[in-house]
Amino acid sequence: MSKNSGFRQGVQLAFRLGTELTVATIVGGLMGYALDSFFGTKPWGLVVGVVFGVVAGCLGVYRVATKMNIEDEDTNKNLE
Amino acid sequence: MENPLHHFEVHNIIPIHIGGLDLSISNAVIAMWVGLALIGSMFVFPANRGLSLVPGKLQSVLEIAMEFIRNMVNEFIGEEEGKKYIPFIASLFLFILACNLIGMVPGSYTITCQIVVTGVFAVGIFVMTLIIGFSKHGLHFLGILIPPGIPKVLIPLMIPIEIISMVARPVSLSVRLFANMTAGHTILAVLFGLAMSSLMIGWLPFGFTVAINGLELAIAFIQAYIFTILTCVYIGDVIHLH
Repeated sequence: MSKNSGFRQGVQLAFRLGTELTVATIVGGLMGYALDSFFGTKPWGLVVGVVFGVVAGCLGVYRVATKMNIEDEDTNKNLE
Repeated sequence: MENPLHHFEVHNIIPIHIGGLDLSISNAVIAMWVGLALIGSMFVFPANRGLSLVPGKLQSVLEIAMEFIRNMVNEFIGEEEGKKYIPFIASLFLFILACNLIGMVPGSYTITCQIVVTGVFAVGIFVMTLIIGFSKHGLHFLGILIPPGIPKVLIPLMIPIEIISMVARPVSLSVRLFANMTAGHTILAVLFGLAMSSLMIGWLPFGFTVAINGLELAIAFIQAYIFTILTCVYIGDVIHLH
């Protein structure tokens, strides 16, 4: 059972991390673009939005990855 | 050669128009009804008819599925808080799984290939997490936008980043399911088109379709699992607040 759940965890992470980064960038860019057309500050909202989006995506991936590390250490401790 | 995206088209079978609203029954609606009927006949009606102490074949399947879902909820939401979300999570998982599997039957329609359907699921879940968060924590729920242990100088910088990552959740949830199902079915259609186009080496792409069919069956399970597990993670995040 535990081996099986480890496999499921891995598959879930594999499918999750790829989309997380791209989608956060796209959402950030779109939000910046929307702010642009709202306030009329043509290129700047998009620029800042994309930068924030990339940061948000990296942060999301980093969070998931650190959680994965902790779980690994836990299983290692149990094995010892 | 036939258009490989042909089988994603929605056809009206019984046109119904009421006051400018298009309520026609299309092949997508029928696929959804078949999914509901499948869950109903396999899970709901046998459970309502009464369970025996010694499980039969159908009841064992039911018990394994429920055990699986309960473990998922316990792990990510928590044993006590998770209890009232089990019905929602179970119906979400079973419905998406049924729709994915119905799509594997040749000639049927895959409802999860429509981003409208997955988008409505994801937006509904997003709104639900917001409601749960505000009703449980009140205005303290806005603290989810400030990660713990960061310096005060960075707070104005972190809030837009956290807002973006909150909004990206439903988008990535819906796009993941939609894109995986659409990509798999398009590959299958292209390979079948190649197999039909030349009789000399048509057996080669046809052999690949058999392998890809097996892969698609696994993807149908995995994507339904990922969708529900991320729903659990999001609900758990909102309940526990870091």
